[in-house]
Amino acid sequence: MGDPITLIGKWLENLLYSWGLMPGVVSLIMAVIGVVVIASAVLVLDILLVWVERKVVARFQDRLGPNRVGPFGIIQPIADVIKLLIKEDILPIGADKIVYNLAPIMALGTVLLLWAVLPLSSTVYGTNLNVGVLYIVALGAISTLGIIMAGWASNNKYALLGAFRTVAQMVSYEVPLVIALLVPVILARSMGLTDIVEAQSIWFVFIAPIPALIVLITSIAELGRAPFDLIEAESEIVAGFHIEYTGMKFGLFYAGELLHALTVGGIIATLFLGGWRGPGAETYPILGIFYFFIKALFLYWVIMWIKYSLPRIRIDHMLNFNWKFLTPLSLVILIVMAIVDKIVPKTSMLVYSLVMLFVNVVVGWLTLQLLRRNAKSARMRVAEPKPVARPEPSPTAATSQTSSSSS
Amino acid sequence: MTPLQIIFLITSVGILGSALMVVTTRNLVHAALWLVVSLFGVAVLYVMLSAAFLAVAQVVIYIGAIAILMIFAIMLTRRVAKDSGPQTNPNWTWAVVVAAALFGGLTWLLSSWNGFSTPIPELSSRADPLSQLGQALVSPNAYVLPFEVASVLLLSALIGAIMVAWDRRSG
Amino acid sequence: MSELTTIVENTLETRFPEVVVRDERKGYEGFIIQAEKLVEVVTKLRDDFGYDYLSSVTGVDYLPEGKMEVVYHLYKSTGGSALVLKAQTPREVASVPSLVPVYPGAELQEREAWDLYGIHFEGHPDLRRILMWEGFHGHPMRKDWQEAYYEEDSKPYKSRWPDGEVWRSEDKNTFHKNVDYPAGFDPETWVPDGDASLYAGLGRVVKPGNGGGLGTEQVVVNMGPQHPSTHGVFRMVVTLDGETITALKPVMGYLHRNHEKIGERNTFLQNMPFTDRLDYLSSMSNNFGYALAVEKLMGVKPPERAEYLRVIMAEFTRISNHIWAIGFLLNDLGAYFTPMLYAVEERELILDIFEAVSGSRMMCNYFRFGGVARDLPEGVYEKIRKLVYDRLPRKIDELDLYLTNNEILRSRGEGVGILTPDQAIAYSASGPLLRASGVPYDIRRADPYSIYERFDFDVAVRYHGDIYDRYMIRLDEVRQSLRILQQAVRDMPEGPIQEGKPQYQVRVPPGEAYGRVEGPKGELGYYVISNGKPNPWRYHVRAPSFVNLTPLEIMCVGNKVADSVAILGSIDIVLGETDR
Repeated sequence: MGDPITLIGKWLENLLYSWGLMPGVVSLIMAVIGVVVIASAVLVLDILLVWVERKVVARFQDRLGPNRVGPFGIIQPIADVIKLLIKEDILPIGADKIVYNLAPIMALGTVLLLWAVLPLSSTVYGTNLNVGVLYIVALGAISTLGIIMAGWASNNKYALLGAFRTVAQMVSYEVPLVIALLVPVILARSMGLTDIVEAQSIWFVFIAPIPALIVLITSIAELGRAPFDLIEAESEIVAGFHIEYTGMKFGLFYAGELLHALTVGGIIATLFLGGWRGPGAETYPILGIFYFFIKALFLYWVIMWIKYSLPRIRIDHMLNFNWKFLTPLSLVILIVMAIVDKIVPKTSMLVYSLVMLFVNVVVGWLTLQLLRRNAKSARMRVAEPKPVARPEPSPTAATSQTSSSSS
Repeated sequence: MTPLQIIFLITSVGILGSALMVVTTRNLVHAALWLVVSLFGVAVLYVMLSAAFLAVAQVVIYIGAIAILMIFAIMLTRRVAKDSGPQTNPNWTWAVVVAAALFGGLTWLLSSWNGFSTPIPELSSRADPLSQLGQALVSPNAYVLPFEVASVLLLSALIGAIMVAWDRRSG
Repeated sequence: MSELTTIVENTLETRFPEVVVRDERKGYEGFIIQAEKLVEVVTKLRDDFGYDYLSSVTGVDYLPEGKMEVVYHLYKSTGGSALVLKAQTPREVASVPSLVPVYPGAELQEREAWDLYGIHFEGHPDLRRILMWEGFHGHPMRKDWQEAYYEEDSKPYKSRWPDGEVWRSEDKNTFHKNVDYPAGFDPETWVPDGDASLYAGLGRVVKPGNGGGLGTEQVVVNMGPQHPSTHGVFRMVVTLDGETITALKPVMGYLHRNHEKIGERNTFLQNMPFTDRLDYLSSMSNNFGYALAVEKLMGVKPPERAEYLRVIMAEFTRISNHIWAIGFLLNDLGAYFTPMLYAVEERELILDIFEAVSGSRMMCNYFRFGGVARDLPEGVYEKIRKLVYDRLPRKIDELDLYLTNNEILRSRGEGVGILTPDQAIAYSASGPLLRASGVPYDIRRADPYSIYERFDFDVAVRYHGDIYDRYMIRLDEVRQSLRILQQAVRDMPEGPIQEGKPQYQVRVPPGEAYGRVEGPKGELGYYVISNGKPNPWRYHVRAPSFVNLTPLEIMCVGNKVADSVAILGSIDIVLGETDR
């Protein structure tokens, strides 16, 4: 009873067989149904996310947020979608029509594809790809391509600048991301996301907090969310790559961004927070879906929290932070953890985890010490304090001033 | 024909067609995007061969790195993105001859090879090709030397790139 | 006229006989200088007498005498009152030497005088139109220039209701008949070419590239006029080398409505609500400066309670303006509205006070010549007390706590957009921009007006002249303003709020006056000339948002393009005032 989704699947399969279809055709039909179900479920969730995002940001900003359409404004995203759908669809002069129209589809499509490998519970997942982690990285590359296409095809300088920044940012942050992603792979001895979740009798975030942090930071950068939202920095390049998009095409980018944020939450939850694991999730897999989404939404909330509290960092700071801090740190932590993994026997999971945690704490502490040492303010002194903080005018001037103000 | 064969045919047509578009289209960005399609098709072929790692690596490296780098370079030189010159060079007849000869030679060689007719041994479900590949890359009995040579080559290329772009004035 | 300036004046006349002549017209002050010797005299004044700060440059058209006059207001950056210089030139071939080589801060103001008056400034590096568009015909501030739908020279228009019926000018003068094109101009075939000279002025620097011979190409990017972070329709034409700015030109005038021309048509009192529309975020300050200038001419002084009310309102304006500026600076830095919304919440409470006393939240129109419009309504005094003693100090500390040590704010702000003290003075920067560069120049202390010398407060100064210090100085100034407010609220006496009877039509004796206040954005000066008629002969606004843009380029060059937005935000401009 704890696994209704598998039950329904089995029933459907039997039904198809009873119609006398070939096994190959049945599995094809089942796969198509699975894709359709997951994709539509995720897209429906996406509509809800619009509401969540708007409501949460409103609370962060001491506002009420949408509260007119439906209870607590929950119908608001539907209204938004209707608005987007009936908006005029503009194709800029000089735009590359095919590429321009293809870009938003790629933006949302790549995010949807990520859900193919995310294990929602012990029994519900798209596919247990044995290179799941790499698959995630590969899709990140394709989503970059979508943004470049949008930026190039729009025939707009801001869009192009946004695309340039995208490449600089995504390609750079992929490096520490991939390195940090190797840590859960080492810990779980597998690249399959399902195996990684299975391996997390102790959540990896407790074993490897620093890689978890690096993955979170770099994922935010890959998302292009604040403080790394240079690719669509409103105050600089207006809207970046999607400046020329209107109506539902813009809506696809917007939906893609929101969904991507939740998906990243899901990925990090899977890799570091035990995925669907939770009390009773083994026996009742339906609970696993619940746990998974709780964790994903929590991380989504964290990402929003960061986005709505921090200003944007500048492009050179962004690159420096990546190449001079994140990449070395992730390399060091990967090497250290790989060595420790070889040395410490995995017989007692508790001891192993404690040693790993200890190593992380040491590396983290050393990093902080190094940072503190380098934190000597590099601020340029342009002027020594003048002694006249409160101008005492020269004697002649003083008389003139007091004479005019005899009251 | 099995469904697998149908998919294979569609993919191959896609790969070849887009490869043709790469060399015939006049817009450089379009050419790069067609190249992406072609490379993606190759990744699909790998998937059909159950070589998931190669497929994903194909996408990461060829699409995620090489193609994007190409597009980036093209975008930076946007003014020459549209080509109006002739698309063939004067020696195209010789190229055709060489290509035909090469194709014929390959066909002749492969016709005597029995790889097409022998059935592939089924992989046991326990086998983990990924870890075997990893072991092979760092095993002294297998490919550790080429692997390391490749890494040294890449490293020197990296340093060379830095040297070329080094701004000596700012140190 | 103070003693100090008298000393300088006596020396001036002996040092430059024939060249410098005292302005003897009734109600006028300062000196008339021969135009040819202007640069020489001014250089002496700057180097030997310490008049290193050029506050205001403006033209005046004396149509009856057939003369143009350029009026300069010079100050010492250590404090004191103004030295007023005038250079006269015939109307037909109006030309005076440019002061840009001596005071770079004259650049935009001289361009404005050229644009509006047609006074040619010899030696100006980039004398183009600034507020009007390039194809504009004529120089609109000249007294004989008449606009489309011109009716009369001065309000109130007698012709509006000749027989109790509404009469519209446009009915008589239908469109197209009244439009005046320059010779050879055809609107159908006209191609805008205004940007060609602009781009030419940018001066693309072709760098030799690095040692490896990698040349880089520069791109011209138009930031604006439609851009979310230019704070209105303002445009920065930026030349970029990669992401680094190599040249920048501000382009403005998109919101120009010839405020000064309309001001000269209005009666003196009609201008009071009109000043609200300059810097629409701090209308109370705008009222203050104008009231001071006209009161100088009229020779009236407001009663005690009115003075206190004026100070309270002006300081509230400063607070609301600064927290707004901080909020939007953070927005420009990319914080998605959160700091802004928290800051604006406090501003709303201040606007409540404004609404209570003046009936309007933003367009207050509260000051009158010799007083203020209304006394505090019942209960508002308590509200003000609570605000200045409890709520605002707490909330300012909260903003300080959340923002000041934010790592990203520091890294984005520190060492970026530097304006050195010398540059700040030379480029006529004023207000927080000047003080963040380490020049402790605050008109409330340097040249006190109203009752500011009674209050105990410090002039906030920061010394690095970067974005971060410009953020910090606003927090400091808000705190100082709270100190002033607390004292003012404590000491405010009972009594009348208006000297004499409130009048619709004031009698202003002939003469000139320059009233300047330390507005939230900098020195806000009004130069008013009266010829005894009900309308000012000349009404000039020395707008801080406008003059503070002069050093924008030197602050931006060498920084990243993203910083230009933040630098602009840290200057804190309002386009209503920039374009007038």
